[in-house]
Amino acid sequence: MAGVIPINVRRTNQNKARERTLQTSKVIPIFLTAIALIFFILMLIVPLVSVFVKAFEQGAGLYYAAISDPIAFKAIKLTLITISIVVPINTVFGLIAAWAIAKFKFKGKNLLITFIDLPFAISPVVAGLIFVLLFSTSYGLFAPLLNAWGIKIIFAPAGIVLATLFVTLPFVARELIPLMEAQGTSEEEAALTLGASGFKTFLFITLPNIKWALIYSIMLTAARAAGEFGAVSVVSGHIRGLTNTVPLHVEILYNEYKFSAAFAVASLLTVIAIINVIIKNIADWKIKQQTKI
Amino acid sequence: MSIEISNITKTFDSFKALNNIHLKINTGELVALLGPSGSGKTTLLRIIAGLERADGGSIIFDGKDNTKKTTQDRKVGFVFQHYALFKHMTVFENIAFGLKVRPSKLRPSKEEINKKVHELLALVKMEELAKRYPSQLSGGQRQRIALARALVVEPKVLLLDEPFGALDAKVRKDLRRWLRKLHDKYPITSVFVTHDQEEALDVADRIVILNQGKIEQIGTPEEVYDNPVNPFVYNFLGNVNLFHGRVHKGKAEFGSLKLDVPEHLEARDRQVVSYTRPHDIEICLEAQGHEFIAAEIIFIRAIGPIVNLEMKRVDNGEYIEAEISKENYRNLKLKLGQIVYVKPRDFRIFIPEDYVI
Amino acid sequence: MSHTVKSFRIKQHSVIPGFGITMGFTFLYLTLLVLIPVSMVFFNSSSIGLVKFWEIASSERVLASLKISFGTSFLAALVNAIFGLLIAWVLERYTFPCKKIVDGLIDLPFALPTAVAGISLTTLYAPNGWIGKLFASLGLKISYTPLGITIALIFISFPFVVRTVQPVLKSIDLEVEEAAACLGATRLQTFIKVIVPELLPALITGFALAFARALGEYGSVVFISGNMPMKTEITPLLIRTKLEQYDYAGGTAIAAIMLIISFIMLLVINIFQWWASNRHK
Repeated sequence: MAGVIPINVRRTNQNKARERTLQTSKVIPIFLTAIALIFFILMLIVPLVSVFVKAFEQGAGLYYAAISDPIAFKAIKLTLITISIVVPINTVFGLIAAWAIAKFKFKGKNLLITFIDLPFAISPVVAGLIFVLLFSTSYGLFAPLLNAWGIKIIFAPAGIVLATLFVTLPFVARELIPLMEAQGTSEEEAALTLGASGFKTFLFITLPNIKWALIYSIMLTAARAAGEFGAVSVVSGHIRGLTNTVPLHVEILYNEYKFSAAFAVASLLTVIAIINVIIKNIADWKIKQQTKI
Repeated sequence: MSIEISNITKTFDSFKALNNIHLKINTGELVALLGPSGSGKTTLLRIIAGLERADGGSIIFDGKDNTKKTTQDRKVGFVFQHYALFKHMTVFENIAFGLKVRPSKLRPSKEEINKKVHELLALVKMEELAKRYPSQLSGGQRQRIALARALVVEPKVLLLDEPFGALDAKVRKDLRRWLRKLHDKYPITSVFVTHDQEEALDVADRIVILNQGKIEQIGTPEEVYDNPVNPFVYNFLGNVNLFHGRVHKGKAEFGSLKLDVPEHLEARDRQVVSYTRPHDIEICLEAQGHEFIAAEIIFIRAIGPIVNLEMKRVDNGEYIEAEISKENYRNLKLKLGQIVYVKPRDFRIFIPEDYVI
Repeated sequence: MSHTVKSFRIKQHSVIPGFGITMGFTFLYLTLLVLIPVSMVFFNSSSIGLVKFWEIASSERVLASLKISFGTSFLAALVNAIFGLLIAWVLERYTFPCKKIVDGLIDLPFALPTAVAGISLTTLYAPNGWIGKLFASLGLKISYTPLGITIALIFISFPFVVRTVQPVLKSIDLEVEEAAACLGATRLQTFIKVIVPELLPALITGFALAFARALGEYGSVVFISGNMPMKTEITPLLIRTKLEQYDYAGGTAIAAIMLIISFIMLLVINIFQWWASNRHK
């Protein structure tokens, strides 16, 4: 569900010539390409470009001031802390879950995959809500315990980390499972017959085979963790300088009509998104090279 | 419908797939395009169908120029190597497709389509499988459906690209005999591509042998098998023994073997290669004059009515293959390691400078 | 245990090690982080009582929000199905300059934070924005209307159809299209009768994924919708509003409805994906 990398088949020049011979009209391809490109530019490129244009509309000085503002700086710090906790945990989970699911045949496999998909399928607002229902000090299931121990999770950084963990849970596992299933188990079996231990087999055989998909999925998890808005917004409480992440800071600036500042901070997130897309394309290309023997 | 191919040339990137092809196919003929892979045979077939555009030359159907026409307008039946059946349609729908896509004025009524499809299902002997999907059929069944689908539009020309290539040996033989019978009954002008010489020799009225984008020989199966015009055709149409030697004023010398070659009277000390098929090798237990070569038997396969022998020449160590009847083999009482005397009963001599092998 | 009948086994025999520990960990992590928290929604809703639940679920404002959410999400998914198919086709079949870059950028909405998409689209489609200005002169308002919501949803769910259709389009054998041409089918007939049926499961899967994603979307819509109750208030936003008013019971009840819808969507998507991968086997 989470944007699986399709393994491409290379089209030869001869195939291109065959496609051209099939085309009976020269106008239709140009017409269709034009419509597709207009839609693409209007829906994707213009919004992307406008982020940067708006960010620099009031000059580079204001841009710099917006991103070096102490409150912005604290939001960036909180986002980075969240990423540094969430990404390693969900990467380890993704690797373990992908191993269990892709390398074995067992009953209930599809149900398990559906559970992994669940955080991706449900609304981010609901994702935030479920942690409020568990950990809110006034309404949550664990309220008496939390109050007794004086622990705060909702309206505190811990809640933000939990909600982000939940929302970014599927990405590594969902990216790796189809690739590992396609690769099968014969290489691992060969390593085992040669006397390698299970862990060494994973380290020297499986890991190099999934390297690029893993790198991309880690990047995607990080980008999603940095950009998560709905779930974090519910659990954060918007306490400035304390529970504000970068996207929440963008919202506050925007709602205060500080548009240029909002877009300046947003442009940082946009750069992360663009880097993410570039890495996806490199990973796609590398995986294609790997599968083409 | 007759097909006239003249001056067809086709280049892919820098690879010359077809070079100046001239060929006339008569109405009702069954012609095989035979050649190794990369010889251009499939490209030629696809150009006839309009699936590929030639760089130059023309394709004429019954005197009318078809070169510029699209595939849709050429009305040829084409059977693909991998069947190319529509996976989401049943056998019935696959066969009916060609009728259903006609413009409404030319489209037959539902009953007529139904009747026609059932006629074709009967022809390919698959009436009871009409409701199946292609994935539920065997390879041979799929190929017959592909053929029925191509025939439904009553094409004047039937083109088949390696029609039996993806099938196993037994089904292959049955199907090609069936195709031959079908063609005898409904003589549609047909062209089929194959790399299997046995298949071409078995089925075709005429064989066109292609190599590296050029036609090497055109003729009936007997003509091309018995009188190959060059070493390539000789090699391609079955196993062959090569004897390297010299020719001088109508006398050829291959090691200890000396032969009269009256067709090369004017040759003056030229290097030559002699070609002999394994079944044209005669084996004797004793030398009789200069026409025999001594060789040691190194391998015997005596399964079935034909016995295959592999021998190593005593004089230069070259290998000779022979096929003899089981009866002859028993009479000679051949054994491994035995020295025998070998003579080419029938042979053809080519002077290598004339041909690049 | 070598006498156990094979079909009673949960896991098939394998020489690969680590099934027990990895499966155990996966299950534990999912239980703690996903299953228990998600079940809280149903646990809390059931404690409200059926009468109260029905009262909340059938209230005018909730129904209006569901109507807006479903309407705009369906429209957005439909637009994406049409243009996604077109873009996948153009990318696979035609050549044009910058094709690689276009192909690469398709995934951008997956990576771009929804809040960024939200403020960017709102600014663009506001009556004084670059694009909004053009429509404003025609008397058409986009930002702060259901149309604006639809545009935001088109943006965030854009990659799904392209990325599900593309690999299938790539795998279609050209021979099949050539066969149709030989039988006299025009290009349009070949497309409708031969190519579209092949693409259909992938197209529907992509549509369902886009629809499911759009239904739950919050970040981008919150900016562009204007959040007027009964007019431009989507369901996730209503949950958020209820929570801010400390109406946890109300928020949870609506969340339960949304969760059930998500489950149904997941089921439908899985069925279609299964159909897509198994129908020719």
